[in-house]
Amino acid sequence: MSEGTCSQCGQTFPVRSLFDLNGATFCESCVQKASKEAKERGLPSLYMPLISKSICARCNTYIGSSSDAVQIANLRFCSACGPLIKDWDYPQWLKISLVAVLLLLVVALAHGRKYFHAGREMYVGERPVDEGRYAEALPHLQEALRIAPRSDKAALLAAKAALLSGDYGSASKALQGHDGGHFEDADKPEFREVESLWKRATGALAKAEQAAKLQNQDGKEIEAARLMHEAASAYPQFQYLSFVAEAYDEGVAFVHKDYDAFVAIAEKQWKERPLANTAAALASALACKYATTGDNSYRQRSEEMLQRSREMAKDNPEAMKSLDEFAERNRYRLESRKIISKQEYDRLFRSGKNASK
Amino acid sequence: MFFIPGSVIAALTFPGVIIHEAAHLFFCRMFKLQVFEVCFFRFGNPAGYVIHQQTEDFKAQFFVSMGPFFANTLLCVLFCTAAFLPVWELKVFDPLAYFFYWLGLSIGMHAFPSTTDLSHLWAHAPGLAKKGNLLAIVSLPLAAVLVVLNYARVIWADLGYGIAVGVLGPIAIFRALAK
Repeated sequence: MSEGTCSQCGQTFPVRSLFDLNGATFCESCVQKASKEAKERGLPSLYMPLISKSICARCNTYIGSSSDAVQIANLRFCSACGPLIKDWDYPQWLKISLVAVLLLLVVALAHGRKYFHAGREMYVGERPVDEGRYAEALPHLQEALRIAPRSDKAALLAAKAALLSGDYGSASKALQGHDGGHFEDADKPEFREVESLWKRATGALAKAEQAAKLQNQDGKEIEAARLMHEAASAYPQFQYLSFVAEAYDEGVAFVHKDYDAFVAIAEKQWKERPLANTAAALASALACKYATTGDNSYRQRSEEMLQRSREMAKDNPEAMKSLDEFAERNRYRLESRKIISKQEYDRLFRSGKNASK
Repeated sequence: MFFIPGSVIAALTFPGVIIHEAAHLFFCRMFKLQVFEVCFFRFGNPAGYVIHQQTEDFKAQFFVSMGPFFANTLLCVLFCTAAFLPVWELKVFDPLAYFFYWLGLSIGMHAFPSTTDLSHLWAHAPGLAKKGNLLAIVSLPLAAVLVVLNYARVIWADLGYGIAVGVLGPIAIFRALAK
Protein backbone atom coordinates (compact mmCIF):
# COMPACT_ATOMS: atom_id res chain seq x y z
CA MET A 1 0.00 0.00 0.00
CA SER A 2 1.39 3.45 -0.96
CA GLU A 3 1.99 5.77 1.93
CA GLY A 4 2.69 9.45 2.27
CA THR A 5 3.71 11.90 4.99
CA CYS A 6 1.68 14.78 6.33
CA SER A 7 3.65 18.00 5.93
CA GLN A 8 2.12 19.37 9.13
CA CYS A 9 2.35 16.60 11.73
CA GLY A 10 5.02 14.50 9.97
CA GLN A 11 3.08 11.26 10.46
CA THR A 12 2.76 8.65 7.73
CA PHE A 13 -0.66 7.69 6.34
CA PRO A 14 -2.03 5.65 3.41
CA VAL A 15 -2.17 7.88 0.28
CA ARG A 16 -5.94 7.47 0.00
CA SER A 17 -6.43 9.30 3.33
CA LEU A 18 -4.17 12.25 2.46
CA PHE A 19 -5.17 15.60 0.96
CA ASP A 20 -3.53 18.21 -1.22
CA LEU A 21 -3.76 21.88 -0.34
CA ASN A 22 -1.84 24.36 -2.48
CA GLY A 23 0.70 21.69 -3.43
CA ALA A 24 1.33 20.50 0.14
CA THR A 25 0.20 17.13 1.56
CA PHE A 26 -1.88 16.96 4.73
CA CYS A 27 -3.58 14.27 6.76
CA GLU A 28 -7.34 14.52 7.34
CA SER A 29 -7.03 16.15 10.76
CA CYS A 30 -4.38 18.69 9.70
CA VAL A 31 -5.93 19.69 6.36
CA GLN A 32 -8.94 21.43 7.91
CA LYS A 33 -6.74 23.58 10.14
CA ALA A 34 -4.38 24.31 7.23
CA SER A 35 -7.34 25.24 5.02
CA LYS A 36 -8.64 27.63 7.67
CA GLU A 37 -5.22 29.25 8.05
CA ALA A 38 -4.84 29.54 4.26
CA LYS A 39 -8.19 31.26 4.09
CA GLU A 40 -7.18 33.72 6.82
CA ARG A 41 -3.99 34.52 4.90
CA GLY A 42 -6.00 35.08 1.68
CA LEU A 43 -4.62 31.94 -0.01
CA PRO A 44 -6.76 29.34 -1.80
CA SER A 45 -8.39 27.20 0.88
CA LEU A 46 -9.90 24.45 -1.23
CA TYR A 47 -8.28 21.06 -0.73
CA MET A 48 -8.74 17.79 -2.54
CA PRO A 49 -7.93 14.10 -1.94
CA LEU A 50 -4.30 13.45 -2.88
CA ILE A 51 -5.41 10.41 -4.82
CA SER A 52 -7.43 12.67 -7.14
CA LYS A 53 -4.14 14.16 -8.29
CA SER A 54 -3.32 10.88 -9.97
CA ILE A 55 -6.41 10.99 -12.19
CA CYS A 56 -7.35 13.59 -14.79
CA ALA A 57 -9.73 16.10 -13.19
CA ARG A 58 -11.73 16.28 -16.43
CA CYS A 59 -11.92 12.74 -17.86
CA ASN A 60 -10.79 10.67 -14.79
CA THR A 61 -8.05 8.88 -16.78
CA TYR A 62 -5.25 7.55 -14.54
CA ILE A 63 -2.20 9.76 -14.99
CA GLY A 64 -0.17 8.74 -11.97
CA SER A 65 3.03 10.72 -12.01
CA SER A 66 3.11 10.99 -15.81
CA SER A 67 5.31 13.79 -17.05
CA ASP A 68 2.76 14.57 -19.81
CA ALA A 69 0.19 15.59 -17.22
CA VAL A 70 -0.73 19.27 -17.15
CA GLN A 71 -1.12 21.12 -13.85
CA ILE A 72 -3.61 24.00 -13.88
CA ALA A 73 -4.12 25.70 -10.53
CA ASN A 74 -4.30 22.76 -8.11
CA LEU A 75 -5.70 20.32 -10.65
CA ARG A 76 -3.94 17.83 -12.93
CA PHE A 77 -5.14 16.89 -16.37
CA CYS A 78 -4.13 14.26 -18.86
CA SER A 79 -2.27 15.34 -21.99
CA ALA A 80 -5.50 15.15 -24.04
CA CYS A 81 -7.59 17.31 -21.69
CA GLY A 82 -4.88 19.78 -20.71
CA PRO A 83 -5.06 21.89 -23.89
CA LEU A 84 -8.87 21.99 -23.66
CA ILE A 85 -8.84 23.66 -20.28
CA LYS A 86 -9.17 27.37 -20.52
CA ASP A 87 -10.35 30.23 -18.44
CA TRP A 88 -14.13 30.09 -18.76
CA ASP A 89 -14.80 33.78 -18.40
CA TYR A 90 -18.25 35.13 -19.10
CA PRO A 91 -18.58 35.45 -22.87
CA GLN A 92 -19.13 38.92 -24.26
CA TRP A 93 -22.62 38.10 -25.54
CA LEU A 94 -23.58 36.86 -22.08
CA LYS A 95 -22.37 40.04 -20.42
CA ILE A 96 -24.33 42.10 -22.95
CA SER A 97 -27.39 39.88 -22.47
CA LEU A 98 -27.23 40.17 -18.69
CA VAL A 99 -26.96 43.96 -18.95
CA ALA A 100 -29.90 43.84 -21.36
CA VAL A 101 -31.89 41.74 -18.88
CA LEU A 102 -31.19 44.24 -16.12
CA LEU A 103 -32.16 47.11 -18.41
CA LEU A 104 -35.32 45.23 -19.34
CA LEU A 105 -36.05 44.82 -15.66
CA VAL A 106 -35.74 48.57 -15.14
CA VAL A 107 -37.96 49.16 -18.19
CA ALA A 108 -40.45 46.57 -16.93
CA LEU A 109 -40.64 48.19 -13.51
CA ALA A 110 -40.88 51.71 -14.96
CA HIS A 111 -43.47 50.59 -17.49
CA GLY A 112 -45.50 48.92 -14.77
CA ARG A 113 -45.61 52.02 -12.58
CA LYS A 114 -49.12 53.04 -13.61
CA TYR A 115 -50.26 49.48 -13.07
CA PHE A 116 -48.62 49.40 -9.64
CA HIS A 117 -50.63 52.50 -8.80
CA ALA A 118 -53.86 50.90 -10.03
CA GLY A 119 -53.03 47.63 -8.29
CA ARG A 120 -52.18 49.35 -5.06
CA GLU A 121 -55.46 51.28 -5.15
CA MET A 122 -57.28 48.02 -5.78
CA TYR A 123 -55.60 46.20 -2.88
CA VAL A 124 -56.01 49.23 -0.61
CA GLY A 125 -59.71 49.31 -1.55
CA GLU A 126 -60.16 45.57 -1.14
CA ARG A 127 -59.54 45.56 2.59
CA PRO A 128 -62.24 48.06 3.61
CA VAL A 129 -64.66 46.15 1.38
CA ASP A 130 -63.82 42.97 3.32
CA GLU A 131 -64.29 44.90 6.55
CA GLY A 132 -67.61 46.41 5.47
CA ARG A 133 -66.33 50.00 5.11
CA TYR A 134 -67.72 50.38 1.62
CA ALA A 135 -67.83 54.17 1.25
CA GLU A 136 -64.16 54.34 2.28
CA ALA A 137 -63.20 51.72 -0.31
CA LEU A 138 -65.04 53.23 -3.25
CA PRO A 139 -62.65 56.10 -4.20
CA HIS A 140 -59.68 53.68 -4.25
CA LEU A 141 -61.50 51.19 -6.43
CA GLN A 142 -62.72 53.93 -8.78
CA GLU A 143 -59.12 55.09 -9.20
CA ALA A 144 -58.09 51.50 -10.05
CA LEU A 145 -60.91 51.31 -12.58
CA ARG A 146 -59.85 54.58 -14.17
CA ILE A 147 -56.61 52.88 -15.27
CA ALA A 148 -57.99 49.39 -15.76
CA PRO A 149 -61.72 49.51 -16.52
CA ARG A 150 -61.70 45.89 -17.77
CA SER A 151 -60.39 44.42 -14.54
CA ASP A 152 -62.99 41.92 -13.31
CA LYS A 153 -61.76 42.17 -9.77
CA ALA A 154 -61.68 45.98 -9.61
CA ALA A 155 -65.06 46.32 -11.34
CA LEU A 156 -66.75 43.78 -9.07
CA LEU A 157 -65.21 45.23 -5.93
CA ALA A 158 -66.14 48.78 -6.98
CA ALA A 159 -69.69 47.72 -7.86
CA LYS A 160 -70.05 45.92 -4.55
CA ALA A 161 -68.67 48.86 -2.58
CA ALA A 162 -70.91 51.28 -4.48
CA LEU A 163 -74.06 49.17 -4.11
CA LEU A 164 -73.50 48.57 -0.42
CA SER A 165 -72.80 52.22 0.24
CA GLY A 166 -75.98 53.19 -1.58
CA ASP A 167 -74.24 54.70 -4.59
CA TYR A 168 -76.21 53.06 -7.36
CA GLY A 169 -74.86 55.42 -10.03
CA SER A 170 -71.22 54.51 -9.33
CA ALA A 171 -72.09 50.81 -9.32
CA SER A 172 -73.76 51.18 -12.69
CA LYS A 173 -70.74 53.06 -14.06
CA ALA A 174 -68.31 50.40 -12.77
CA LEU A 175 -70.29 47.55 -14.31
CA GLN A 176 -71.18 49.22 -17.60
CA GLY A 177 -67.58 50.41 -18.01
CA HIS A 178 -66.49 46.76 -17.89
CA ASP A 179 -67.29 45.53 -21.42
CA GLY A 180 -70.84 46.79 -21.10
CA GLY A 181 -71.40 44.62 -18.04
CA HIS A 182 -69.93 41.42 -19.52
CA PHE A 183 -67.70 39.31 -17.26
CA GLU A 184 -65.57 36.32 -18.26
CA ASP A 185 -66.62 33.99 -15.48
CA ALA A 186 -70.24 34.28 -14.44
CA ASP A 187 -69.84 31.42 -11.95
CA LYS A 188 -67.37 33.22 -9.76
CA PRO A 189 -68.80 33.80 -6.26
CA GLU A 190 -67.71 37.47 -6.45
CA PHE A 191 -69.73 37.91 -9.64
CA ARG A 192 -72.75 36.13 -8.23
CA GLU A 193 -72.69 38.28 -5.11
CA VAL A 194 -72.59 41.51 -7.12
CA GLU A 195 -75.23 40.22 -9.51
CA SER A 196 -77.54 39.47 -6.60
CA LEU A 197 -76.93 42.92 -5.07
CA TRP A 198 -77.45 44.56 -8.44
CA LYS A 199 -80.74 42.76 -9.04
CA ARG A 200 -81.97 43.72 -5.59
CA ALA A 201 -80.98 47.36 -6.13
CA THR A 202 -82.50 47.63 -9.62
CA GLY A 203 -85.67 45.91 -8.36
CA ALA A 204 -85.91 48.41 -5.52
CA LEU A 205 -85.37 51.35 -7.87
CA ALA A 206 -88.01 50.04 -10.28
CA LYS A 207 -90.42 49.86 -7.38
CA ALA A 208 -89.44 53.37 -6.30
CA GLU A 209 -90.09 54.64 -9.82
CA GLN A 210 -93.51 52.99 -9.80
CA ALA A 211 -94.21 54.61 -6.41
CA ALA A 212 -93.20 58.02 -7.78
CA LYS A 213 -95.69 57.64 -10.62
CA LEU A 214 -98.47 56.67 -8.19
CA GLN A 215 -97.63 59.60 -5.91
CA ASN A 216 -98.65 61.98 -8.67
CA GLN A 217 -102.06 60.35 -9.04
CA ASP A 218 -105.00 61.44 -6.92
CA GLY A 219 -105.90 58.97 -4.19
CA LYS A 220 -102.86 56.76 -4.71
CA GLU A 221 -100.75 58.26 -1.91
CA ILE A 222 -101.12 55.27 0.40
CA GLU A 223 -100.13 52.75 -2.26
CA ALA A 224 -97.25 54.97 -3.33
CA ALA A 225 -95.96 55.17 0.26
CA ARG A 226 -96.28 51.40 0.67
CA LEU A 227 -94.34 50.73 -2.49
CA MET A 228 -91.66 53.27 -1.57
CA HIS A 229 -91.25 51.64 1.86
CA GLU A 230 -90.89 48.27 0.15
CA ALA A 231 -88.23 49.73 -2.12
CA ALA A 232 -86.42 51.24 0.87
CA SER A 233 -86.49 47.90 2.73
CA ALA A 234 -85.22 46.02 -0.33
CA TYR A 235 -82.28 48.39 -0.69
CA PRO A 236 -81.65 49.85 2.78
CA GLN A 237 -78.13 50.99 1.85
CA PHE A 238 -79.61 53.57 -0.53
CA GLN A 239 -80.73 55.81 2.32
CA TYR A 240 -82.38 58.31 0.03
CA LEU A 241 -85.16 55.76 -0.59
CA SER A 242 -85.96 55.69 3.14
CA PHE A 243 -85.99 59.46 3.13
CA VAL A 244 -88.37 59.56 0.17
CA ALA A 245 -90.54 56.86 1.74
CA GLU A 246 -90.85 59.02 4.83
CA ALA A 247 -91.71 61.99 2.62
CA TYR A 248 -94.47 59.86 1.08
CA ASP A 249 -95.78 59.26 4.60
CA GLU A 250 -96.52 62.99 4.65
CA GLY A 251 -98.96 62.31 1.78
CA VAL A 252 -100.55 59.48 3.79
CA ALA A 253 -100.93 61.79 6.81
CA PHE A 254 -102.49 64.40 4.51
CA VAL A 255 -105.00 61.88 3.15
CA HIS A 256 -105.89 60.84 6.72
CA LYS A 257 -106.18 64.51 7.71
CA ASP A 258 -103.61 63.82 10.44
CA TYR A 259 -101.96 67.23 10.20
CA ASP A 260 -100.02 66.83 13.45
CA ALA A 261 -98.28 63.80 11.94
CA PHE A 262 -97.83 65.74 8.69
CA VAL A 263 -96.06 68.57 10.57
CA ALA A 264 -93.99 66.17 12.66
CA ILE A 265 -92.69 64.28 9.61
CA ALA A 266 -92.06 67.49 7.66
CA GLU A 267 -90.16 69.03 10.60
CA LYS A 268 -88.00 65.90 10.91
CA GLN A 269 -87.25 65.84 7.19
CA TRP A 270 -86.37 69.54 7.18
CA LYS A 271 -83.97 69.00 10.09
CA GLU A 272 -82.37 66.01 8.39
CA ARG A 273 -82.03 67.62 4.98
CA PRO A 274 -82.58 71.37 4.88
CA LEU A 275 -83.47 71.62 1.18
CA ALA A 276 -85.92 73.66 -0.89
CA ASN A 277 -88.36 70.75 -1.19
CA THR A 278 -88.29 69.85 2.52
CA ALA A 279 -88.83 73.53 3.36
CA ALA A 280 -91.82 73.61 0.97
CA ALA A 281 -93.25 70.40 2.50
CA LEU A 282 -93.00 71.93 5.96
CA ALA A 283 -94.66 75.15 4.68
CA SER A 284 -97.51 72.96 3.32
CA ALA A 285 -97.91 71.06 6.63
CA LEU A 286 -97.91 74.29 8.66
CA ALA A 287 -100.51 75.80 6.31
CA CYS A 288 -102.73 72.77 6.99
CA LYS A 289 -102.33 73.30 10.73
CA TYR A 290 -103.23 76.98 10.33
CA ALA A 291 -106.28 76.05 8.26
CA THR A 292 -107.54 73.72 11.00
CA THR A 293 -106.56 75.75 14.08
CA GLY A 294 -106.52 79.38 12.93
CA ASP A 295 -103.31 79.83 14.97
CA ASN A 296 -101.46 82.66 13.26
CA SER A 297 -98.04 81.38 14.37
CA TYR A 298 -98.52 78.42 11.97
CA ARG A 299 -99.37 80.78 9.11
CA GLN A 300 -96.39 82.99 9.86
CA ARG A 301 -94.01 79.99 9.93
CA SER A 302 -95.54 78.54 6.79
CA GLU A 303 -94.83 81.80 4.95
CA GLU A 304 -91.29 81.89 6.38
CA MET A 305 -90.59 78.35 5.24
CA LEU A 306 -91.93 79.08 1.77
CA GLN A 307 -89.63 82.10 1.59
CA ARG A 308 -86.66 79.97 2.67
CA SER A 309 -87.57 77.40 0.10
CA ARG A 310 -87.51 80.09 -2.61
CA GLU A 311 -84.12 81.33 -1.45
CA MET A 312 -82.71 77.82 -1.57
CA ALA A 313 -84.11 77.10 -5.01
CA LYS A 314 -83.28 80.41 -6.65
CA ASP A 315 -80.48 78.94 -8.79
CA ASN A 316 -82.62 76.05 -9.97
CA PRO A 317 -85.21 77.15 -12.59
CA GLU A 318 -86.99 73.79 -12.52
CA ALA A 319 -87.41 73.90 -8.74
CA MET A 320 -88.48 77.57 -8.91
CA LYS A 321 -91.21 76.69 -11.41
CA SER A 322 -92.49 73.95 -9.13
CA LEU A 323 -92.37 76.31 -6.13
CA ASP A 324 -94.36 79.00 -7.96
CA GLU A 325 -97.08 76.44 -8.58
CA PHE A 326 -97.03 75.33 -4.94
CA ALA A 327 -96.92 78.92 -3.59
CA GLU A 328 -100.20 79.66 -5.36
CA ARG A 329 -101.93 76.69 -3.69
CA ASN A 330 -100.38 77.42 -0.32
CA ARG A 331 -101.60 81.01 -0.48
CA TYR A 332 -105.11 79.74 -1.23
CA ARG A 333 -104.89 77.37 1.76
CA LEU A 334 -103.75 80.16 4.09
CA GLU A 335 -106.31 82.70 2.87
CA SER A 336 -109.29 80.38 2.57
CA ARG A 337 -108.35 77.98 5.37
CA LYS A 338 -109.59 75.21 3.05
CA ILE A 339 -107.45 72.10 2.58
CA ILE A 340 -107.77 70.60 -0.86
CA SER A 341 -105.45 68.35 -2.86
CA LYS A 342 -103.46 69.57 -5.81
CA GLN A 343 -105.66 67.66 -8.21
CA GLU A 344 -108.75 69.29 -6.76
CA TYR A 345 -107.14 72.70 -6.88
CA ASP A 346 -106.19 72.10 -10.51
CA ARG A 347 -109.75 71.07 -11.30
CA LEU A 348 -111.24 74.11 -9.59
CA PHE A 349 -108.82 76.81 -10.65
CA ARG A 350 -106.62 75.53 -13.45
CA SER A 351 -109.02 73.68 -15.70
CA GLY A 352 -108.00 74.09 -19.31
CA LYS A 353 -104.43 74.88 -18.27
CA ASN A 354 -101.53 72.47 -18.24
CA ALA A 355 -101.07 72.06 -14.57
CA SER A 356 -97.50 71.71 -13.52
CA LYS A 357 -96.60 69.26 -10.85
CA MET B 1 -51.31 15.70 -19.61
CA PHE B 2 -49.72 16.20 -22.99
CA PHE B 3 -46.19 15.73 -24.28
CA ILE B 4 -44.11 18.47 -25.82
CA PRO B 5 -40.50 17.67 -26.77
CA GLY B 6 -37.99 19.08 -24.30
CA SER B 7 -36.12 20.86 -27.06
CA VAL B 8 -39.28 22.77 -28.01
CA ILE B 9 -39.85 23.80 -24.40
CA ALA B 10 -36.21 24.79 -24.05
CA ALA B 11 -36.40 26.85 -27.24
CA LEU B 12 -39.55 28.61 -26.05
CA THR B 13 -38.02 29.35 -22.68
CA PHE B 14 -34.37 29.79 -23.67
CA PRO B 15 -33.70 32.84 -21.44
CA GLY B 16 -34.27 30.65 -18.40
CA VAL B 17 -31.75 28.04 -19.61
CA ILE B 18 -29.09 30.70 -20.22
CA ILE B 19 -29.64 32.35 -16.84
CA HIS B 20 -29.56 28.97 -15.09
CA GLU B 21 -26.18 28.10 -16.62
CA ALA B 22 -24.86 31.64 -16.12
CA ALA B 23 -25.70 31.32 -12.43
CA HIS B 24 -23.81 28.00 -12.23
CA LEU B 25 -20.81 29.65 -13.88
CA PHE B 26 -21.06 32.67 -11.60
CA PHE B 27 -20.94 30.54 -8.45
CA CYS B 28 -18.18 28.31 -9.82
CA ARG B 29 -16.06 31.40 -10.40
CA MET B 30 -17.06 32.85 -7.05
CA PHE B 31 -15.83 29.74 -5.25
CA LYS B 32 -12.82 29.45 -7.57
CA LEU B 33 -13.80 26.06 -8.97
CA GLN B 34 -12.21 25.11 -12.26
CA VAL B 35 -14.77 25.11 -15.06
CA PHE B 36 -14.12 22.50 -17.74
CA GLU B 37 -16.90 23.19 -20.15
CA VAL B 38 -19.92 25.44 -20.49
CA CYS B 39 -22.91 25.24 -22.79
CA PHE B 40 -25.41 28.03 -22.28
CA PHE B 41 -27.96 26.69 -24.72
CA ARG B 42 -28.37 23.89 -27.21
CA PHE B 43 -31.14 21.85 -28.78
CA GLY B 44 -30.57 18.71 -26.77
CA ASN B 45 -30.85 17.15 -23.37
CA PRO B 46 -29.76 18.82 -21.21
CA ALA B 47 -30.40 22.16 -22.91
CA GLY B 48 -27.41 23.65 -21.10
CA TYR B 49 -24.69 22.55 -18.72
CA VAL B 50 -21.59 23.61 -16.80
CA ILE B 51 -18.97 20.92 -16.12
CA HIS B 52 -16.83 21.97 -13.24
CA GLN B 53 -14.35 20.72 -10.70
CA GLN B 54 -15.79 18.78 -7.77
CA THR B 55 -15.13 20.15 -4.35
CA GLU B 56 -15.21 18.97 -0.77
CA ASP B 57 -16.34 22.41 0.37
CA PHE B 58 -20.05 22.03 1.11
CA LYS B 59 -20.71 25.75 0.96
CA ALA B 60 -19.33 25.87 -2.58
CA GLN B 61 -21.29 22.74 -3.47
CA PHE B 62 -24.46 24.25 -2.09
CA PHE B 63 -24.19 27.53 -3.94
CA VAL B 64 -23.03 26.04 -7.22
CA SER B 65 -25.93 23.57 -7.12
CA MET B 66 -28.63 25.81 -5.71
CA GLY B 67 -27.45 29.18 -7.06
CA PRO B 68 -29.50 28.91 -10.26
CA PHE B 69 -32.57 28.01 -8.21
CA PHE B 70 -32.30 31.23 -6.21
CA ALA B 71 -31.22 33.43 -9.14
CA ASN B 72 -33.95 32.17 -11.49
CA THR B 73 -36.59 32.39 -8.78
CA LEU B 74 -35.62 35.95 -7.91
CA LEU B 75 -35.61 37.11 -11.53
CA CYS B 76 -38.91 35.33 -12.14
CA VAL B 77 -40.52 37.16 -9.23
CA LEU B 78 -39.12 40.51 -10.38
CA PHE B 79 -40.20 40.23 -14.02
CA CYS B 80 -43.55 38.74 -13.16
CA THR B 81 -44.14 41.43 -10.54
CA ALA B 82 -43.65 44.07 -13.21
CA ALA B 83 -46.16 42.32 -15.47
CA PHE B 84 -48.49 40.59 -13.02
CA LEU B 85 -51.01 43.39 -12.52
CA PRO B 86 -51.81 44.17 -16.17
CA VAL B 87 -51.84 40.48 -17.14
CA TRP B 88 -53.71 38.88 -14.24
CA GLU B 89 -55.50 41.44 -12.13
CA LEU B 90 -56.18 44.48 -14.29
CA LYS B 91 -56.79 42.68 -17.60
CA VAL B 92 -55.07 45.40 -19.57
CA PHE B 93 -53.91 44.28 -22.99
CA ASP B 94 -50.34 45.48 -22.95
CA PRO B 95 -47.97 43.52 -25.26
CA LEU B 96 -44.92 44.68 -23.31
CA ALA B 97 -46.40 43.32 -20.10
CA TYR B 98 -47.05 39.96 -21.78
CA PHE B 99 -43.45 39.93 -23.01
CA PHE B 100 -42.18 40.51 -19.46
CA TYR B 101 -44.46 37.81 -18.15
CA TRP B 102 -43.15 35.34 -20.71
CA LEU B 103 -39.60 36.29 -19.76
CA GLY B 104 -40.39 35.88 -16.03
CA LEU B 105 -42.06 32.50 -16.51
CA SER B 106 -39.29 31.29 -18.83
CA ILE B 107 -36.73 32.10 -16.17
CA GLY B 108 -38.84 30.62 -13.36
CA MET B 109 -39.41 27.39 -15.28
CA HIS B 110 -35.68 26.67 -15.31
CA ALA B 111 -35.10 27.34 -11.63
CA PHE B 112 -34.90 23.69 -10.60
CA PRO B 113 -31.37 22.35 -10.19
CA SER B 114 -30.73 19.20 -12.23
CA THR B 115 -30.72 15.79 -10.56
CA THR B 116 -26.93 15.75 -11.08
CA ASP B 117 -26.60 19.04 -9.18
CA LEU B 118 -28.80 17.72 -6.42
CA SER B 119 -27.04 14.36 -6.20
CA HIS B 120 -23.81 16.11 -5.13
CA LEU B 121 -25.65 17.90 -2.37
CA TRP B 122 -27.60 14.83 -1.42
CA ALA B 123 -24.40 12.79 -1.05
CA HIS B 124 -22.78 15.15 1.44
CA ALA B 125 -25.62 16.95 3.21
CA PRO B 126 -26.79 14.15 5.58
CA GLY B 127 -23.34 13.59 7.09
CA LEU B 128 -22.68 17.29 7.52
CA ALA B 129 -26.16 17.89 8.88
CA LYS B 130 -25.42 15.35 11.61
CA LYS B 131 -22.34 17.40 12.50
CA GLY B 132 -24.55 20.49 12.84
CA ASN B 133 -23.66 22.22 9.57
CA LEU B 134 -26.47 24.76 9.24
CA LEU B 135 -26.30 24.98 5.47
CA ALA B 136 -26.48 21.19 5.25
CA ILE B 137 -29.49 21.15 7.59
CA VAL B 138 -31.25 23.76 5.45
CA SER B 139 -30.33 22.07 2.21
CA LEU B 140 -31.69 18.64 3.17
CA PRO B 141 -35.43 19.38 3.01
CA LEU B 142 -34.90 21.81 0.13
CA ALA B 143 -32.98 19.24 -1.88
CA ALA B 144 -35.56 16.56 -1.03
CA VAL B 145 -38.42 18.70 -2.33
CA LEU B 146 -36.46 19.66 -5.40
CA VAL B 147 -35.59 16.06 -6.22
CA VAL B 148 -39.30 15.20 -6.14
CA LEU B 149 -40.18 18.26 -8.22
CA ASN B 150 -37.46 17.41 -10.66
CA TYR B 151 -39.00 14.01 -11.30
CA ALA B 152 -42.39 15.71 -11.52
CA ARG B 153 -41.18 17.67 -14.53
CA VAL B 154 -42.95 15.11 -16.69
CA ILE B 155 -46.20 16.50 -15.32
CA TRP B 156 -45.06 20.10 -15.85
CA ALA B 157 -43.92 20.75 -12.29
CA ASP B 158 -41.34 23.20 -13.63
CA LEU B 159 -44.02 25.23 -15.40
CA GLY B 160 -46.19 24.94 -12.30
CA TYR B 161 -43.36 26.28 -10.20
CA GLY B 162 -42.79 29.18 -12.60
CA ILE B 163 -46.47 30.10 -12.54
CA ALA B 164 -46.71 29.72 -8.77
CA VAL B 165 -43.71 31.97 -8.24
CA GLY B 166 -44.86 34.39 -10.94
CA VAL B 167 -48.33 34.70 -9.46
CA LEU B 168 -47.98 34.15 -5.73
CA GLY B 169 -44.76 36.18 -5.46
CA PRO B 170 -46.29 39.37 -6.89
CA ILE B 171 -49.52 38.88 -4.91
CA ALA B 172 -47.49 38.63 -1.70
CA ILE B 173 -45.48 41.71 -2.65
CA PHE B 174 -48.51 43.83 -3.55
CA ARG B 175 -50.47 42.77 -0.49
CA ALA B 176 -47.49 43.66 1.70
CA LEU B 177 -47.16 47.03 -0.04
CA ALA B 178 -50.87 47.74 0.34
CA LYS B 179 -50.63 47.40 4.14
